[in-house]
Amino acid sequence: MIKNRSLPLGRISLLLAILVWLALVLVDLVRIFGMINNLDSGVSEEVTWILEILFFIFVYLVYRRIFWKNKQSDFLTLIWRGVSTGLFAAAAGLLTELIYLVLGESKIGTDPFLRNVFYHINFALTSAFLIFITLLWKHLILYQKNKQVVNQWQVFELSMLGALFFVFFNHNNFDYSFLFGLTILLIISILLAVNLKWIPYLNFKEKWKTLLFLFLIMGCAGVLFYRVLDSGNEGDLQINLTDNLFLMALFGFVFAYGLFSFLVTLFNLPTSSVFEQKLTEAINFQKLSQSIQPEESEEQVLDILLDSCISASFSDAAWIELNPKEQFKVKNPLRFLDESTRAELNSLIPQEHQSWVHGNTAELPQPQTIRLTHPIYKSALLLPLVVNKSILGRIVLIKEVKEGFNKEMISIIGTFARQACISVENHRLLNQAIENERYQEELKIAQRVQKALLPLHLDHPDSFDICAYSNTADEVGGDYYDTYQVDENHFVLIMGDVSGKGTSAAFHMAQMKGVFQSLIQLGIHPAEFMTKANAALSKCLERNHFITASIFEIDTVTHTFCHARAGHIPTLWYKATEKAAEFISIEGLGLGIVRNPTYKNHVQEKTFDYSSGDILVLLTDGILEGRNETGEQFGYDRIKKIVEAHHQKSPIHLQQEIIDSLHQFVGGYGMIDDDYSLLVVKFK
Amino acid sequence: MLQLERIKEENKDILRLIGEVDASNSVLLDQSMQEILQQGATFLLIDGSQLAYISSAGLGVFMSYLDDFSEQGIRFAIFGLNEQVTEVFKILGLDRLIKIAPDKSTAITLGNES
Repeated sequence: MIKNRSLPLGRISLLLAILVWLALVLVDLVRIFGMINNLDSGVSEEVTWILEILFFIFVYLVYRRIFWKNKQSDFLTLIWRGVSTGLFAAAAGLLTELIYLVLGESKIGTDPFLRNVFYHINFALTSAFLIFITLLWKHLILYQKNKQVVNQWQVFELSMLGALFFVFFNHNNFDYSFLFGLTILLIISILLAVNLKWIPYLNFKEKWKTLLFLFLIMGCAGVLFYRVLDSGNEGDLQINLTDNLFLMALFGFVFAYGLFSFLVTLFNLPTSSVFEQKLTEAINFQKLSQSIQPEESEEQVLDILLDSCISASFSDAAWIELNPKEQFKVKNPLRFLDESTRAELNSLIPQEHQSWVHGNTAELPQPQTIRLTHPIYKSALLLPLVVNKSILGRIVLIKEVKEGFNKEMISIIGTFARQACISVENHRLLNQAIENERYQEELKIAQRVQKALLPLHLDHPDSFDICAYSNTADEVGGDYYDTYQVDENHFVLIMGDVSGKGTSAAFHMAQMKGVFQSLIQLGIHPAEFMTKANAALSKCLERNHFITASIFEIDTVTHTFCHARAGHIPTLWYKATEKAAEFISIEGLGLGIVRNPTYKNHVQEKTFDYSSGDILVLLTDGILEGRNETGEQFGYDRIKKIVEAHHQKSPIHLQQEIIDSLHQFVGGYGMIDDDYSLLVVKFK
Repeated sequence: MLQLERIKEENKDILRLIGEVDASNSVLLDQSMQEILQQGATFLLIDGSQLAYISSAGLGVFMSYLDDFSEQGIRFAIFGLNEQVTEVFKILGLDRLIKIAPDKSTAITLGNES
């Protein structure tokens, strides 16, 4: 749809413009014929005016179409088109002059019809040129437009539309109303002519070209204007198309804006380098602020930084040096100088600034200007690069002039450096985040592996029920429990707790499991078990780590259990016959505390008789040390009371009772800052 | 929270523990002990009268120096522990390896016995 409607519009307008022009020529020839022969041709001058207006409108439509198609072109291309149109029109005008100069006073030379045809050709070209330039000016004026400018332009367009029909009111007389209209239009033109925002965006070379083009446009306009005035004075030409307010106002507008643009471009020439510089700085800044992708290197940022600093400060040489602690290197640390010169210059930098490289100073360094005593290079700027409060390195900028670095340069360079450092820092943080993510994953795996170290199934006969629970303060922990069936009637329960928590505890817990599982096979009694465990664990535990453990060897035939405790929290024993619970008191030192054979003197074992309904609750200290918001510990008594109150319950329910009470006690504000485990046995 | 205060008294070094010793700050305790030993202490007393809580990691610190104390003949005692903390030492069996006294003068007497 759009294609069908929009594409031929330009061509139709062009065709119509040509047709209207031909009609105009024809009408005017008829009118001249009538005038010469004093005949009433039957064609009034209004017809000429209408055709003229139509011609202007169609030319305007043709060019508007062209501009619409080329709106992405840069200024120079568009201005050049204007220049070529102008040159063509002016050349045609001059050619006409030349022809008439050659023809002289010959018959053809004085023929009014031929003269009229030429006049119409020149009129058409001049109008086309003026309308084209007006549209060009519109494009330039409305560059970076705001509402005010758009409104101004609309006023101008409406006034021009008025000027188009002014001829009906004024009948082509050069009177005061004509002058009045022209003055108003000229004032609007001049007001519009201050919109020159496009000029600063041209670079130095483009400005020179623009100056030339503007000069040519004004030159062409001048030639054409002269010819219009000239032909207006010729008496034998009764048809006057060019003494028209619209056309005159266009001339005025073209001149006014052309002149303003020319002058402003001219005066902008000396400062254009500053504008270009600022633009480059802005682009550099943007480059630096783009965060580095994980796969890109920090080196690239520093490379851009070094180049940006050189261009911002007009330095003659520069280098970048990194803190020796940094793990990466910049491939091309030197700019415009060789290594020997660099070393020479570096030796000229005072000693107190040399420490920067090593990051020894407590205070963060600022950019420093330094005077150099060197035959070529006279001044230097030291720019420290600070990442995360430590010195990444520094950039040294060198100039051949004394005091070559002014405040503005230092400030912009400082901004560059900060931005680059932020980029580097972000890059590092990102990498760190990725690393952390990886560790989290590893920990999850560790957690899974460790969970598998605890038994899924607890060995037990029909004569007692058992259940166990374990929870870690961190991802992994140091608590351990297990059961082992020695033979049909003998079962071993074991619970262990590594000092501390977290990863180191988890590793020791794995070792403990290995040792316990090996020793349990030997079928030795609890005290000997602990002595051997102590000997084995002493060899693998860190010096400040120890393990506490409890072991029970249950004989389901004799209804006895033999127990030893190595520094572990005493086990709670509910005796059904007494309807009371007590903590089994027995001496025993933690494993890995005394790392020599004397340990056997520190551990005991004792055999107890149990009866049906008795309950054993093995604990780790995490439960006892769970604290509420006032700092009070859960403690022995609470557990004892819970077990006494719920002794009739099955192990799993009793266990849940204890855990619920613990959580209730600790509440939302307190904490359980340790691994905690429970193993509950109830004899039938 | 753990605060450590060092007091020098004649031939004795007293390290006062204020607050709680747990896994997160047991390193501080370890550092202080190490410093004191490096400075050639011969009689080290731990003032635990303001110690509210000690975790197994804290106990591990004391434990790790026991061999050093006996090898270098350094006298070592802890005093002023509250009931709860004393219980923690006892359960682990450390009361058989470390002299634990109710007050400072008893601790000095105990320390001098060895």
